Amino acid sequence: MTTFANALGSAAVLVTVGAVVVLWRHRLRSIVAALAVQGVALAATAALLGVHEHDRGLLVVAGLVLLVKAAVIPGLLARVVAATPGARESDPLVNVPASLVVAGLLTLGAFVAARPIVALVGGPTGKLVPLGLATVLIGFFTMVARRRAMSQVVGLLLVDNGIALVAFLVTSGVPVIVELGSTLDVLFGVVVLRVLLARLSALGFSDLDQLRSLHD
Amino acid sequence: MIVLALVAGLGVFATLAALASRAVRVQLVAGLLGLVEVVAGAAAIHVLATNRSIAGHTASLVPFTGVTIDLTPLGALFTLTTAVVALAATIHWVGYRRHAMSSVSASSAFALFVTSLLLVPAAGDVVTFLVLWEVMALSSLVLVAHDHAKRDEARQAAWWYGAMTQGGAALITLGLVVLAGHAANPGFSAIAASASHLPAATRGAVFLALFIGFGAKAGLVPAHVWLPRAHAEAPAPASALLSGAMVNLGIYGIVLARTLLGVGATWWWLVAGFFGVISALYGSLYAATSADLKRLLAYSTSDNMGLVVIGLSASGLFAARNPAASSLALVATLFLVTAHALYKSTLFLGAGSVQYATHERDLDRLGGLARTMPITTAVVVIGALAVAALPPLNGFGAEWLVVQSLVHGLTNADPVTTVTTALFVAALALTGGLTIVAFVKAVGVGFLGRARSESAERAREVPVSMRIAPAITAAACVIVGVAPGLAITAIARASDAVAPNRSGLAATLSGFHLEALRGAVDPLALALGAVAATLVVAGLRRAGGPRAGAKLRAFEPWGSGRAVTSARMQYTATSFAEPLQRVFDDVLAPQHDLDVSHALESRYYVERVAYASANDDIVERRLYRPVLALAAVLGVRARALANGSVHRYLAYGFVVLVIALVVVS
Amino acid sequence: MSLASPLIGAVQLALVVLGGPLLLGLMRVVRSRLEGRDGPPVSQPWRDIAKLARKQRTRPSESSWIFAAAPLVLVATAATVAVLAPLVTLAPPLAGSTDFIAVIFVLLVGSVALALAALDTGTAFGGMGASRALTIGALVEPALLVAVLALSLPLHSTNLIAIVANGSRHVSTLLGPSHLLALGSFIVVILAESGRLPVDNPSTHLELTMIYEALILEYSGPDLAAVTLGESMRLAIWLGLFVNLVAPVGIAANAHALAVVVGLVALSLKVAVVGIAIAIFEVTTAKLRLFRLPELLAGGFILALLGVVTGAVMR
Repeated sequence: MTTFANALGSAAVLVTVGAVVVLWRHRLRSIVAALAVQGVALAATAALLGVHEHDRGLLVVAGLVLLVKAAVIPGLLARVVAATPGARESDPLVNVPASLVVAGLLTLGAFVAARPIVALVGGPTGKLVPLGLATVLIGFFTMVARRRAMSQVVGLLLVDNGIALVAFLVTSGVPVIVELGSTLDVLFGVVVLRVLLARLSALGFSDLDQLRSLHD
Repeated sequence: MIVLALVAGLGVFATLAALASRAVRVQLVAGLLGLVEVVAGAAAIHVLATNRSIAGHTASLVPFTGVTIDLTPLGALFTLTTAVVALAATIHWVGYRRHAMSSVSASSAFALFVTSLLLVPAAGDVVTFLVLWEVMALSSLVLVAHDHAKRDEARQAAWWYGAMTQGGAALITLGLVVLAGHAANPGFSAIAASASHLPAATRGAVFLALFIGFGAKAGLVPAHVWLPRAHAEAPAPASALLSGAMVNLGIYGIVLARTLLGVGATWWWLVAGFFGVISALYGSLYAATSADLKRLLAYSTSDNMGLVVIGLSASGLFAARNPAASSLALVATLFLVTAHALYKSTLFLGAGSVQYATHERDLDRLGGLARTMPITTAVVVIGALAVAALPPLNGFGAEWLVVQSLVHGLTNADPVTTVTTALFVAALALTGGLTIVAFVKAVGVGFLGRARSESAERAREVPVSMRIAPAITAAACVIVGVAPGLAITAIARASDAVAPNRSGLAATLSGFHLEALRGAVDPLALALGAVAATLVVAGLRRAGGPRAGAKLRAFEPWGSGRAVTSARMQYTATSFAEPLQRVFDDVLAPQHDLDVSHALESRYYVERVAYASANDDIVERRLYRPVLALAAVLGVRARALANGSVHRYLAYGFVVLVIALVVVS
Repeated sequence: MSLASPLIGAVQLALVVLGGPLLLGLMRVVRSRLEGRDGPPVSQPWRDIAKLARKQRTRPSESSWIFAAAPLVLVATAATVAVLAPLVTLAPPLAGSTDFIAVIFVLLVGSVALALAALDTGTAFGGMGASRALTIGALVEPALLVAVLALSLPLHSTNLIAIVANGSRHVSTLLGPSHLLALGSFIVVILAESGRLPVDNPSTHLELTMIYEALILEYSGPDLAAVTLGESMRLAIWLGLFVNLVAPVGIAANAHALAVVVGLVALSLKVAVVGIAIAIFEVTTAKLRLFRLPELLAGGFILALLGVVTGAVMR
């Protein structure tokens, strides 16, 4: 195995591990930190691919990802979290060990399900595609299994990061304009959600299940 | 052929000898059975040593098909294992008869059971196999129901066992008959030759039927519910045979299905692997949390059979892309089967001795036996360490081989196999950990510490035959563990009968060596090293200091400042398992009932606290109970059909006849 | 000058026996300093052992031979592993059959012996310690074995020496995702197996929160000395294996005397660094509640599982 394949693999795995850590930790601060680390790993993946393929556009994308996904978005979320210090995902719908086992099974499922894509793409990059798929699945599961509004936002971002990882690996480089568009979309979404979150917590909601009371 | 006829004849003779007078009955039957076991074991050793089957056919005895006998090395391995276990069980029985199992029916059923267990693997055609299988099932049913007059639990156990075993037998019959129908004759070799021409769907369906049928016999979850009941209720020599020999034949059946049908499709083995994993985890979890010694052992049997099926599944999955790993998995599995037979019969016989001495099965009413029953305790400790897969005993060798085959199986594996293998290893590991909890609990709470009840306090060492019997199997655990050479040779021949052995497992006297895999382990060296080190440290401890020569001082243990501690302050089996039970709360869903009654004067004073917790089998509670309840409701409804009018009954018959004619035409 | 393999085994054993208690002492010193105390000298565990060894042996009134045998088994199993494992060199005795799984299970024998002895005391605390220690042990097992599976992927062999040797020859293996993930889960395993924070607080004096200390509560005199020695040897072995899997720098590739000396120094330094790191981590972290532990251990397991599938698929 070449050093490139190893480094790329480690970076891609770190994206999935970031998603696992989101399920693992209780403190919202740690969850946001995991998201930031994931952003760095994603940027590293793009950068490694860019260096390997001599694709300057991809390096620019990597920089963009690093800026938005590792700094700006986690920064925005961290400010919301800082408003309620010590906020925790204390009683998730699915408890942590069970969530982690589910995450493991989802990852295994991703490796089985992604066989056609792996065969299609081939090479060391193609073999890592299941990790992106696993990140997407874990992101969805996070949204299902966690109560806090913040966790839902993070879950959504996990899905997005997973899709970005798949995109990098499958196409070996997304055109800058496409990545720019999607990243800005996400950023915009997060800004809106952040405002919404602030409003919600001002109203005293932090657990999404409490919103059910609005129904009555 | 003549040898096996001799086994059958002597077996029948032993069965009839049960009619002898009460004074000599058990000794007579046991003596004859011992002969049967020795002869059958010798025949099996002959087959394994020469690598040539004992085969024969006689047209008499059974009309149309006759009786075909074909003791292949594979069957011989099972017969030999059974012979060793049965010999120990028979010896144990001689002493145990003063406690139970001395009646005519029990003696004859025991003789018939042992004989059929020895002969089932020698069956060479479908009819012979099914007849022997039924004899085995029915004779064991009599033994399970042995206590039916006194204990309601025994009746319950017999019902569950009977229903499960007959349901399984129906599926086995169906599967084998479908196969035999397409073959030139009902002989297994003819079936194996013709089965490959069957359409894939038929073969798959037959595999499923056989897997479920044999799996129920092996105690796989969810068809395991009979096992904790039957094994716990049967008298000790019988439960040793149920767990040490009969469940093995369920595994023999699954291997037989593979021999007959070939390796088949991937999904067969994924299904098998799924049930293997479920059984292993479920069995070990319940073993770790149950407080009844024999139920614990029974659940552990379920768990071990799960591991065996995991091994078989791995062998099937690896067959296409990695024949060497496939062979190794099969060898490992067979090693595990024999290892399990040895240590589990040791443990069941040991539990029987405890029951004999104390009339107790509940761990929370035992304890302190290490001082009153030293030999039984030592033997049970060996069995427990073996089942916990600790080196240098045979359980460790088995576990190591299974893991090696899984490691090897990852070479050149497709994603499905990779993922499954990773899950297998995880299941194996968690099962291993839980098994250790279960058996440290069984030994630590049941045998060590202080006596927890008066009956445990009064316990005395059991009669000599009951001490010898488990010691035989325990010694076999040690010998096969530290010097696996002969066992590996025999098992390699047995696996050769299923698929050509490409495992590359070299059997040296002292260890397991896999040249191609750079895998090797020497239990003997490890054992010698550890024993030597123990002696050195013991010497150093003795030579410690000026007062080291002084007598070992006994003192009252620490009770948080209380002057006197009592046996009731010890951790119980339930409290020992409480952390695990809490961790797996969502799976086990134990029922707690806490009832606090306050004093009239104030809510802050508690008058009485009653706490009850039940940890019954959740598959039984959630799966079988609703089905049984539904069946009961339907049964009541169906009563309306039978209103007593003869004309109506005749009309039913007529309608059915008409429907049958319409369907046929 | 080449050393005979029994001599190498003796060197490794001597290092582990002498160094184990010193490692324990070093970790205590680091903790004390960070907490603003002077703390005992590094050699304190050895002084304790020497003092205890001179005292009279005691046993609970209703215990059996198991209680007396367990400390011996604990030390003997640790000593067996210390001789066989690739700690100082890649050429210890019986190098062909130094299997990772065998090593784990030999150490497990020691844990089981201690748990049985705890139940043999016939007290509540013994049972409490045994129950907790084994529950954690059972939950650690999947992480441990799956991590071993991940580490075995490059060679498809669980031979410990082959794994370490492969790492020292092909540095790129050490940077592979499956290797890194396996070691990540290995850290969790080591913290749990050796009873460090956040799993167990080794310096607690409150019986109800004890795990490991409750297990050995009834031991005193030479038996307690043996238990302390055995436990520190086990810690040294776990850390020694860990550092050699992370960075097999300096490990002697052959039995040459000079190389062995270099290996001896390298191992001591590496283990000391990791020990200090653990001590620092322990100061900054609190003990997890017993029922939060499954979260930690499940996390370790998932890391190892990811390591296996990634490693197996990437090849």
